[in-house]
Amino acid sequence: MRVSVLAAILAIAAPASFAAGIDERCAVPTELIETSATLPNAALAIKRGRLDVMVVSGAPAQTAAGGTLHKYPFFLEQALRERLRDVEVRVFSRAEPRRTVMEIMTALPRLIDEMKPNLVVWQSGTIEALRGIDPDGYGRKLDAGVSLVQNHGADVLLVNPQFSPRTDFMIDSTSYTEHMRWVAQTRDVPFFNRFEVMRHWSESGAFDLAAVGDNGTFEQVHRCIGQLLGEVIVHAAALNRNAER
Amino acid sequence: MIARVRARPRSGAKAHIVNPVAAPAAAGRDLRLDFFRGMSLWFIFLDHISSNVVAWFTLRNYGFSDAAEIFVFISGYTVAYVYGRVMRERGFVVGTARLLKRVWQIYVAFVFLLVFYLAQIAYVSSRFENPLFSEEFGMFHFLQDPAYTLMQALLLRFLPANVDVLPLYIVLMLFFPPALWLLLRKPDLTLSLSFVLYLAAKFFGWNLLLYPYNGPWFFNPFTWQLLFVIGAWCALGGAERLRLILRSNLVVAICVVYLFLAMLLQLSWVVPSAAAYLPGWMMILPLDKTGLSPLRLTHFLALAVIVVRYVASDAPFLRAWWARPIVLCGQHSLEVFCAGVFLSFTAYFVLVEYSNRVFMQVLVSFLGIALMVLLAASMTWYRGIERRPAPVTGSATD
Repeated sequence: MRVSVLAAILAIAAPASFAAGIDERCAVPTELIETSATLPNAALAIKRGRLDVMVVSGAPAQTAAGGTLHKYPFFLEQALRERLRDVEVRVFSRAEPRRTVMEIMTALPRLIDEMKPNLVVWQSGTIEALRGIDPDGYGRKLDAGVSLVQNHGADVLLVNPQFSPRTDFMIDSTSYTEHMRWVAQTRDVPFFNRFEVMRHWSESGAFDLAAVGDNGTFEQVHRCIGQLLGEVIVHAAALNRNAER
Repeated sequence: MIARVRARPRSGAKAHIVNPVAAPAAAGRDLRLDFFRGMSLWFIFLDHISSNVVAWFTLRNYGFSDAAEIFVFISGYTVAYVYGRVMRERGFVVGTARLLKRVWQIYVAFVFLLVFYLAQIAYVSSRFENPLFSEEFGMFHFLQDPAYTLMQALLLRFLPANVDVLPLYIVLMLFFPPALWLLLRKPDLTLSLSFVLYLAAKFFGWNLLLYPYNGPWFFNPFTWQLLFVIGAWCALGGAERLRLILRSNLVVAICVVYLFLAMLLQLSWVVPSAAAYLPGWMMILPLDKTGLSPLRLTHFLALAVIVVRYVASDAPFLRAWWARPIVLCGQHSLEVFCAGVFLSFTAYFVLVEYSNRVFMQVLVSFLGIALMVLLAASMTWYRGIERRPAPVTGSATD
C-alpha cells in the first residue's frame, strides 16, 4: 500500500502483451492465462450465434454491500458481448452459497437441464479450504463433477479460490488448486488461475488487496476478472481469429 | 541418515568402545541428523511464508517428498536413539516419564504458538473487513465463541495453520512408550504392526478430526506414524541390518533413477507450461500428503538411501563453517521449529503490510533464517553457561 504508487508505475512499465478489450489495469503476463485446452461446445455455440454461459460457485450470492455490486459474471457477459459482436451471449450465475463441490454436484444435472448452458464456469475450493476438507477427496469429486457436466453436453472452465492476502496465512488453498489443475489437465478443460492473477496484481501494485477495501475496488477487481475470463474463453474456443473484429 | 549411523545398540555406552566404527565424532553424535534436520527446518520456514520466491529452492519442488518427511523421520530416529537408551538402562517407567516430559514441553510450545495465532486472527478480523473477501472472512465466525474455540484448541481439535507438525509430534510421542518398549524387544514385529496400521488407516480412512467442520488433521497421525517408526527402527539397529542392501549398487541405482524421474515429474508439474506435455499416465500428481502417499514415502526412503551412501557421518563439510548454522538449528529443533512458525507469520505480516515485492520476499526470508540461527546459537551458549554436561536427553533430542 505504501509503495503502491511506485508499484503501479512499475506494473505499467512491465511487459504484459494483451488483446483488445482488456483494461490496462487488469493486465497480467500472458502465461498466467494461457491454456492449451479447448472448448468445443462453446466454439460450436459461437458459430451458431448464441452462447449461454453458466457460472457456478459456492460463494455467497450477496456481497457485504447487500448484493448491489456487480460481480465477475456480469463483467464476463459484457466482455464476451464486446468480443463476440455477432453472437447473442448470456451469462447467468448460480451461486450455491457455502456449498461444497459434493453438494453442488447433486444440483448440477438439474441446473444444466434447466439452463442448457454451452459452458459452465465452475468456481470452487474456497469453502473446502475454509473447512479443511480432505484435498484428495475434493479432487476426486471435482473430477466426477467435470465429467458429469461434460456428459450433459457442456464445456467446463475451472476457476480456483481467489488470493486473499489478509487471510492467506490461515486459509491455504494451494492443495485444492493443485487438485483443480490436475482435474483440468486430465479432463483437458481450461483452468483460470484466479489466485495467481490476483497475486500478480497485488505484487505489481495494480490493486492493493490487503487494504480495507471499498465497493469501487470490489467492482474493479471483478471487472478485470470478467475481462480476463472472457479472453480465456474466446481463446479456448479457438475463435479469437475469426470471431473477433 | 540411516546406515552408517550405527545402531548403537543394545549394549549402550559400551558400543562406543567395542565397535571402532561406532563413534566417529567426539561428541558421539551423528552430525548428519542435525544437518538434515536443520535444513528441513529452514525449508519448512521458507515454505510457510505464502507467496515466497525463495521457497523455489526448497525440496518440495524437486521431488515427491518434502521437508516434513525429513523432519518426522529424523525425529523418530533421535527419539528412539535417546529414549531407547534411557528405557534400556533405566526401565520402562523412567523412559516413559522422560518421553512424557518432552510431550509436555512440545504441548507448551504449541499453546504459545496458538496464542500468537489467535492474536493475529483477532487483529485481522477486526480491522480488515473487505467486501471482496467476505467469504474468506466468513471463517472468523468461530471467534464468536472464543471460549469454546480455545477449549477445542487446547484439546488439539482446533489447529493453527502451519503448526500441524507439532500436534502430530505430540500424538506420536504420547503413544510412543509402548511402541518403543516393543521396538527394543521385537523391532521387526513393531515395524510390521506400524505398517499394518498405516494400511488400515488408508483403507478405512482413519484420521483425527478438527473443530468446527470436522476436517481431517493435515498430518494424519495414523499414517505418518509409519515414517516415525521407520526412523526409530533404523536407530535401534535396523539400519545396521539393512547395511548390505543399502550398499548394493543396484539399490542405489534404482533410487537414483527413481529420484530423477520424480524430479522431472515434479518440475514439469510446478512449471505449468511444461505440465501440458505430460502424457496422461504420468499424471499421478498431486500426491496425498495428509495420508503420506506411498510415492512420497518411497521417495523419501530413496533420498535417505542416497544420503547414507554418499554422505559419511564424518564428512568434512558437516564441520565446515557454512554448515555450522544449519547444524545448530538442527540441534535445537523444537525451539527453532516454533521460532520458524512464529517468524513465518511475522514475515507474512510484513509482506502484506508493507510490500510483497520480490526483494522484500528475499529479505524477510534471509532475516528469518538469521534469527533462527541466532536463536539456536544462543541456546547452545545458554547450555554452556549453565554448565550442564551435554545431557543425554538434551533439548537437542527431538
